[in-house]
Amino acid sequence: MPESIFDYEACLLACARGDQQALRRLYEQDSSRLLGVALRIARDKALAEDIVHDAFLKIWRGAGSFDPCRGSARGWVYSVTRHLALNVVRNSGRDVPLSDEHEQLAEPEHTFEFTARTGQIHTCLEQLDPARRTCILHAYVDGYSHSEIAQKLGTPLGTIKAWIKRSLAALRECMA
Amino acid sequence: MNNTPDELASEYVLGTLPAEQRSEVEQRLMHDAELRAAVDAWEQRLLPLTALAEPVPPSAQLWRRIQRSVAGPDEATVPWWNLLALWRGLAGAGLVTTLVLAALLLTRPPNTEPSFVVVLVAPQSQAPGWVIQASNDQQIQLIPLGVMEVPADKALQFWTKGDGWQGPVSLGLVKPGQTLSVPLDKLPPLSANQLFELTLEDPRGSPTGKPTGPIQAIGRAVKVL
Repeated sequence: MPESIFDYEACLLACARGDQQALRRLYEQDSSRLLGVALRIARDKALAEDIVHDAFLKIWRGAGSFDPCRGSARGWVYSVTRHLALNVVRNSGRDVPLSDEHEQLAEPEHTFEFTARTGQIHTCLEQLDPARRTCILHAYVDGYSHSEIAQKLGTPLGTIKAWIKRSLAALRECMA
Repeated sequence: MNNTPDELASEYVLGTLPAEQRSEVEQRLMHDAELRAAVDAWEQRLLPLTALAEPVPPSAQLWRRIQRSVAGPDEATVPWWNLLALWRGLAGAGLVTTLVLAALLLTRPPNTEPSFVVVLVAPQSQAPGWVIQASNDQQIQLIPLGVMEVPADKALQFWTKGDGWQGPVSLGLVKPGQTLSVPLDKLPPLSANQLFELTLEDPRGSPTGKPTGPIQAIGRAVKVL
């Protein structure tokens, strides 16, 4: 079902009432996409499935405290999953040279060709210098740390930190 | 590092904070409303980028694992049609809607603009707690159906958000058990599906201007012919 039609908010309300069918519907709707998000960050299918499992549990238990005024229900579902994945890789202390196997798994650069995509974030990202844009996308989509990005781009760590900080400020202004 | 809350929120959502700082932010989010509002805004800004990750079909066991964990150990699963709270809530909400509609039918002059009614229910039990009635676009009335318990150091704050609005707007503080009339002259006209909610906030209202506390009652506007 297209994201615009699936009623995420009603689904969370039903989960809060203990309706497991609602959780099943959410799973059918989004498990592949959520697993994709977790896998890019975790880089291991079994680990990514553990993350999605934990995310669905957290969604089930937390559905009652979801506040639609704070953001979209769909966004909450994705944030829960992404932050679980980020916590797993940061807590594991993964900050090692990206191995050759990962290079195969990792995206070819053209994955970040998103010019055809619409939406404000994409318009604003296009205004960034390409190297800085790549930093933002590696961080958000791949869960790379500052030093992983520095290594990948062959750019000093301090430069990467400054680029990311300034790029975020630019995005904020562009999207205001 | 002298990061502003917004900078901290942006790097937290982007994912570049190291483990210790991530857990610090997660601790702070529980009580720091300003940081929470900044994180919420960044989540919304960057969310479309999740579409850049290719979907991957999960293995067949994943749903079964989730289902087992959700059911909990040895806990008999109650099918939804046996959930007392659900039926009690729905029956209550239905009854209240009927009464409000009946009252509107009897009191409303004919041929006015379409008006709206909202039943606010508790998020968990679905028990109806308040109704909102609007017989014109300029003013709404929030009517309690009982006296809600509010902790002494907290207040109830009333919020609304229409589809497509940037964020929720405060309609002020509400005393439990009292009817409140709220002028809407500074807001866009009421629309169907507009969200209304009451949250628990500091005695002088949310410090950020956005809801921060738990929801006590929530509902959406329904057009009355």
